[in-house]
Amino acid sequence: MDVILIAQYTLAGLVIGVIYCLMAVGITFIYSIMKMINWAMGEFYMIGGYLQYLLISTWLGPSRWYLALPLAVLGTGGLGMLLQRVLLQPMFVGQVERLDEYATIVTISLTVLLRNLAIVVFGPYQFSPRDYAPPVMLGPLPLNGSRLVAFLGTVVLLGAFAFVVRWTWFGRALRAAAQNRLGALTAGVNLPRLDMCAFGIGVGLAGAAGALLAPVFLVYPESGALSTVKGFEIIVIGGLGSIPGSILGGLLLGLVESLGSVFLSASFRDVYGFGLLLLLLVLRPAGLFGERAREA
Amino acid sequence: MGRGTVAVIAAVVISAVVVGSHAPGWSAPAPVTLGVLTPLSPPGDASAGQLIQRGAELGVQYINTVMGGLFGGKEGCPLPATQVRLAVEDDSGVPEKAVAGFRRLVSDDRAVAVWGAFHSSAMLAAAPLADQFMVPYISTQASAADVTGKHFAAVFRAHPIDPDRAAAWLGFIQAQGWHKIAMLAENTDYGIGLVEATKALIAAKKLDVTLDAVIFDRTSADLTPQLLKFKAAKPDLLLNVGVGTPAYLIVKQAHDVGLFPQAAMLGSYDFPVRPEYWKNLGPAGNYLAFISYYHPRMALSSFGKWAALEYAKRYHDVAIYANFNSFGDAVIVAEAMNQACSSDPKKIVAQLERGRFDTWIGGKVTFPRADGLSWHQWSPPMIILQYTQNDQTYDKAQILFPSAMKTGSYAAPH
Repeated sequence: MDVILIAQYTLAGLVIGVIYCLMAVGITFIYSIMKMINWAMGEFYMIGGYLQYLLISTWLGPSRWYLALPLAVLGTGGLGMLLQRVLLQPMFVGQVERLDEYATIVTISLTVLLRNLAIVVFGPYQFSPRDYAPPVMLGPLPLNGSRLVAFLGTVVLLGAFAFVVRWTWFGRALRAAAQNRLGALTAGVNLPRLDMCAFGIGVGLAGAAGALLAPVFLVYPESGALSTVKGFEIIVIGGLGSIPGSILGGLLLGLVESLGSVFLSASFRDVYGFGLLLLLLVLRPAGLFGERAREA
Repeated sequence: MGRGTVAVIAAVVISAVVVGSHAPGWSAPAPVTLGVLTPLSPPGDASAGQLIQRGAELGVQYINTVMGGLFGGKEGCPLPATQVRLAVEDDSGVPEKAVAGFRRLVSDDRAVAVWGAFHSSAMLAAAPLADQFMVPYISTQASAADVTGKHFAAVFRAHPIDPDRAAAWLGFIQAQGWHKIAMLAENTDYGIGLVEATKALIAAKKLDVTLDAVIFDRTSADLTPQLLKFKAAKPDLLLNVGVGTPAYLIVKQAHDVGLFPQAAMLGSYDFPVRPEYWKNLGPAGNYLAFISYYHPRMALSSFGKWAALEYAKRYHDVAIYANFNSFGDAVIVAEAMNQACSSDPKKIVAQLERGRFDTWIGGKVTFPRADGLSWHQWSPPMIILQYTQNDQTYDKAQILFPSAMKTGSYAAPH
């Protein structure tokens, strides 16, 4: 087979893999800090897409899509903070006994609520903003402009996220909470506020993925469903709670799906990801970067 | 018996008749319920469902106003004139929801006939239930061969079947002199059925056509790898067999990778006639050819014209096939009830099998107990249209096929 063609499939897989990373990093980040899984992540992806489309089509216009992006991310993150404050914070202030079950029920209910709200508000139709940029050639390889923007946007966002977590006081507080919530509390960290911010950042990343991909995959009420599944696949592949693992897992999943659907069969595209997941669970049950934990 | 006694008895009888005439048994009969089971939410093609629902509402309006209700002397039926009402259920294009929706329509709403199916998988799941209740179930836009091929007793279709569609596009392909065909089909009864029908027809007619068919998972959002593979093979035509979101994604992503419109693309159904087509695709949607079942150049029957005018008045938009065909299904059911002089579902089924019915496009519709896929089947004409300008409305689209109706030739970008 033509080398250029294989390079094209690989590029397509890498681009989509990097974008998958955003979802996975958001899920794993929330899990690290709050020790809960947000099952409604895909719906925040969907909300990010709708906000981006609304901002472009009603206010900013197609040429100023780059102004809409941060607004869509902030809007999604802000909504996430509000929902966390109202629905999830009671978990951490002694009002709820069974934390895991509570978080699962609340976030799964949010999934149903947000998806149906989208149907009521926007109707069951697909929407799509215009492409962010014209197609470009990376050497001999053609790449859709919106995908390139999404790829670069993801790299920038992940870089900014890594910087905040690694080099700022706020990031240090986040890491402290991730390592030991009680220790962070005794060191003077305001945990309820930190949880709210962490949830906002996590769902903001999903909203960013939705906004970046709005012209590529269209926006519709169920657009987040698949991205949630991918996000969870990736965090298991990479290791629950590991951000480098989420990034590597996203890239691997994108590549496996792209190459598998061309060289094997497109009918089973989603099966290849699960195949990789099962293989890793057999070989490394804790995931690529996960650590074995022991609970007393 | 004295005169006084006779007078009292007569007065009592007259009073009883007068009072009795206002009792429930003598009042206007209760309206007959007709059911629509169609996708109104994702993952089904909800846009199609809404168009079908609008057509059904127009149909009910037509029956109650223009036809003056059911019966009331029509077709010699002595029953009193009866109004109809519509009950609507959402199947989301999901088989299990279709089954539950059909059951609710028949059991709770007492629907005597149901139509509106768009997704073949959903219709095929509910079809055995139609047979169980013996309630007629008409396919409005579900075209998988099995819908009629399985010879369900109470299932009918006034819409093309897969082999009709495959025959239409192979005829078009031959007329264009194309040989190398790629086909991207979703993994549903509709997609897989069309791949099989196309392969079978190529083999049966020994056509000089090579077909490279790929079946993709309907839930996949990224079809770029398959489209890159097709692009490398340089096909003359890509057959787009996606329904709803996948249909748009194929056009968009084929345009992104430079496959379309350099190679021609043919949409397997009339999604480009919908208002959201240009909004979703913009210039990427230009040059798409697509199967359609109606074009404003085609003649409408008198009540087809009524539907077109009423639709424009009510929705400020041009009626399309989904509206017309759902409207037509409502009128066919009403005609069958008038001819059978009954709203008993079993009698409606029997009448649909033996009757001849007017419809929106002219000509007579019949649903004979014929062999094979022709069982309870009536196919409207099929045409192939092409957009040649951005934001073109479908009444301005060129008719490419069949040759008898042709208004232009296939246009490729310079």
